[in-house]
Amino acid sequence: MSADKIRKTYSTGAFFFIAPAVVVLLAVGIFPLLFAVGVSFHQFLLPKVHWHGNFLGIWPIYDAPLCWFQNYISIFQDDSFRDSLSRTFLFLMICLPCELVLGLVIALLLHKQGNELLKKICRVALVIPMATTFAVVGLMGRLMFDANYGILNYLWSLLFHSRPNWLADPNLAFLSISIMEVWQWTPFCALVLFSSLTMVPLEIEEAAKLETAKWWQILWRVQLPFMLPGITAILILRTADILKLFDVVYIMTKGGPGSATELISVFVQRVGFRAFDQGVASAQAIVLLIIATLLSRFYIKFVYKEI
Amino acid sequence: MANAKSTPGSGPQGFSVGHFVLLLFVVVVCVFPFYWMVTTSFKEQSVILSPTPQFFFQPTLGNYTTAFQKFDIGASLVNSLIVALSTTAISLTLGAPAAYAIARFEFKGKRDLWFWFISNRMISPIVVALPFFLIARQFHLLDTHLVLILIYLTFNVPIVVWICADQFRNIPKELDEAATLEGYSSFAIFWRIALPLAVPGIAVSAIFSFIFSWNELLYALVLTRTNAKTAPVVATSFLSGYELPWGQIMATGTLVALPVIIFSIIVSRQLVRGLTMGAIK
Amino acid sequence: MKKLLCTFCAGVAFSCLGLSVAEAWSLEEAAKDYKGTEIKVIFLDRPGYRATIKMLPEFEQKTGIKISYEIVPYESTREKEVLDFSAQGDLSIALVDLVWLGEFAESGWIVPIDELQKKFPNLTDPDLDLNDFFPLLLNAFGTWNNTVYGLPFDNYSGLLFYNKAMLKQAGFEKPPETWDDLLNVYGPKLTKDGKYAYALQSRRGETQSCDSFMRFIWPWGGSLLDAKFKPNLMSAKDQEGLEFRQKLEKIMPPGIVDFDHNEAVNALAQGQVAMITEWSAFYSTLSDPKTSKIVNDLAVAPEPKGPAGRKPALGGFSLAVTTQADDKKKGAAWLFIEWVTSKAKAKEYVENGGVSGRQSTYQDKDLVAKYPFVPPMVESWQQGVPEFRPRFAEWPQLSEIIAEWGTKMMDGQSTVKQASEEIDKRVEDVLKKAGYYDGKKPLAQ
Repeated sequence: MSADKIRKTYSTGAFFFIAPAVVVLLAVGIFPLLFAVGVSFHQFLLPKVHWHGNFLGIWPIYDAPLCWFQNYISIFQDDSFRDSLSRTFLFLMICLPCELVLGLVIALLLHKQGNELLKKICRVALVIPMATTFAVVGLMGRLMFDANYGILNYLWSLLFHSRPNWLADPNLAFLSISIMEVWQWTPFCALVLFSSLTMVPLEIEEAAKLETAKWWQILWRVQLPFMLPGITAILILRTADILKLFDVVYIMTKGGPGSATELISVFVQRVGFRAFDQGVASAQAIVLLIIATLLSRFYIKFVYKEI
Repeated sequence: MANAKSTPGSGPQGFSVGHFVLLLFVVVVCVFPFYWMVTTSFKEQSVILSPTPQFFFQPTLGNYTTAFQKFDIGASLVNSLIVALSTTAISLTLGAPAAYAIARFEFKGKRDLWFWFISNRMISPIVVALPFFLIARQFHLLDTHLVLILIYLTFNVPIVVWICADQFRNIPKELDEAATLEGYSSFAIFWRIALPLAVPGIAVSAIFSFIFSWNELLYALVLTRTNAKTAPVVATSFLSGYELPWGQIMATGTLVALPVIIFSIIVSRQLVRGLTMGAIK
Repeated sequence: MKKLLCTFCAGVAFSCLGLSVAEAWSLEEAAKDYKGTEIKVIFLDRPGYRATIKMLPEFEQKTGIKISYEIVPYESTREKEVLDFSAQGDLSIALVDLVWLGEFAESGWIVPIDELQKKFPNLTDPDLDLNDFFPLLLNAFGTWNNTVYGLPFDNYSGLLFYNKAMLKQAGFEKPPETWDDLLNVYGPKLTKDGKYAYALQSRRGETQSCDSFMRFIWPWGGSLLDAKFKPNLMSAKDQEGLEFRQKLEKIMPPGIVDFDHNEAVNALAQGQVAMITEWSAFYSTLSDPKTSKIVNDLAVAPEPKGPAGRKPALGGFSLAVTTQADDKKKGAAWLFIEWVTSKAKAKEYVENGGVSGRQSTYQDKDLVAKYPFVPPMVESWQQGVPEFRPRFAEWPQLSEIIAEWGTKMMDGQSTVKQASEEIDKRVEDVLKKAGYYDGKKPLAQ
């Protein structure tokens, strides 16, 4: 067969490989998304509007007044939204590098030869933080960080003779939720990076090991390039997830004290499910979607050259 | 053939001890909160709340019996299992071929398509919960397993696509070309050659998919009532805003976390198998 | 004369007939058309609901009506109910926290009781006796705009729980009468050696806005809103109350701003703190040897008085029938609500852990002797303020604002004055958008 014919077979085949996934995702997800976009242009307070059934079963009909970009403008004028967003970015910039670096270290530890049994145990142990329901992680955090009967303060007081107020002090509360976030998601990074490491062809690795015994040079020159796709995807996914992070934070601190731990999703939930202002909440979610998309493009451009 | 076991330059003996210690440290840090949760689940409330944490105490099964009797956690675990397994299986079936196509085939807009898959995870559930609720209500899908299975696909398929695409990309193209010359169709190449070599990626994405489905809370809270109630919903129903029965909460948390851990143990054996297969080319 | 006698006899005969008809009303009779109906309701994981769940089999056996309940976290309850009501869902009974009453009533989601009585004359228990409920409770939990919608079901009052042994050791035979006493007289003597005099639950959320913030406004004669519904926090009385709260911090454990109900109750139960002002329902936790170390030293009193008198915290839930239910379900729901809050069932309710809202229940001397929290609670219910927290639809939003800035006040991120100004500004904004200032909405709270 000629090279051209091979290529042709490939591109028509692509359609059938991809179509099922795309069709299902579109069928399930596109209408609610479009609905949310639509709602963001209306003045939509749930207790005040009336539902008149669904058009063709999938498009809910409401009698809410149109207000164009009013919701979006009010977001940009809202100080609390800006505060919450910058707080979330601070959170992102603290947690994500930690997760990546620690994940990388763990991945390297798992990749290195030796201690096979312990490595097996470690791989299972890594699943545990992610396996725990987020709400329960939040509750565990409350129990362990409690100033009076928490295990952390007990150990801390043995070492440092003080009992800091992890959840009552604004800065410590922020630190506490960061610790829980890093604890829960570093294993995710570790497993993904480990999976990437296994794709480095052994011959190349061994050749590099013969050239130099310095592990960081091997890392930088040989292993890292294979991990770039994994790193990029971790960046994209964790960013999106932190912008959506709600359960753990809410249960540990409810966004307090004051607004020290009010991440953007806690804020949006306040608007969407307490004030029930779905119009403004949808606008906020769309803005967050745009931000997440822009950041992802940024990651792809600067971290990962080829796709 | 390179033997995976003996590698030159693995460093002096001292390094190996450091390796051991660090791995041990990782295991301890991961496991300690879980250990604390499990031990708390066997404690009485007054023991849990004493100012000095008790490491040795009189264990009680009371919390577990309450969890099973009062909250019917057994049924919710079954529901969660049904939903998580189904959605994982469907995600793999849909996602793996799509991942293969993205890794192997060239076509216009491929990059954007990959990005579109990932972007499905970026929309906040808070604002799509309402339309999902209304649509589900119209189709009488409220409080059914199906509605959760379908909605969870929106964030599981992207994970599968992303991880598996990566894995497929690293399979040498020569294998494909050799097979094509022998007359295999693209599907056969996918099924017979690429898939077996991609098992580690599939295993990892299965684990993640299962975990995310198992732990999802918001949609489950909004869309289920009594029949399809999943485990995380029961785990949080203790938050009465009034008192915190720590023992029962931790007992429920342990019961909820166990199936995931068991699933991961089973699936991660595939991870190892896939790795050794990768070495023997 | 004879005619008079005849009329008299006829009258007696008729009233006997009427009496016998009234006596013939029984739950089983009334419910015979409703056998097999299933009604859905949301419950919380709290003592009153647990008590009700124990009583359900009896109701189901007598009437054939099945009550299908779902236990939901408190934080998600309003969410779930609003979603259900706005999508014409399947809840037949609404669990109404007193602060949601305005919203539910104005959105037309719950049915007024006199409408139910008109629609289902055979289903109304002649022994219903609305006047038997404590007026404060029926008013605050069930009445909006002079219409009664729900019956008080899960009822709380703020009470002063204290450790009488600790007080005795410091030289006090009685609990403090006023807040001033608590701070200046009791406080210093009880705050030493790692123990504290008082703990105030103040975690951000409804705990901060209701338990912590409002508690220090009303007893000082202040209020959240003035007569025209403009925010009133900058008034002298409000400021005095809030500044007083700041002073309390020196007799409270550190990190108080993170204390939720759990932490405050536990502090008392473990002997770390001498006094707390918490909801009456925590009595069971504090008197259970499994969860409390001070079972023998526990005592209960009404909350201390402020300069303007005793205005204890008020909270609770009522049960109402939803508009979206069909007639059959409405009838069945109404039967259940009457039954579970009835005089006949009140004693059983209390013994199973609930708190009845009927005055007649507490005339039983044995019951009162068994539950020491009853006398202070009954006394508190004579003097409370129904709008302790405004019950209009905007309260959840206001609560969030107060919770955020109230906690900032307490942990030093903001001064009392600054935070009050912020709250005032935002509250005014919310109420303006809602239409209270230009007559679009009546000034009801």
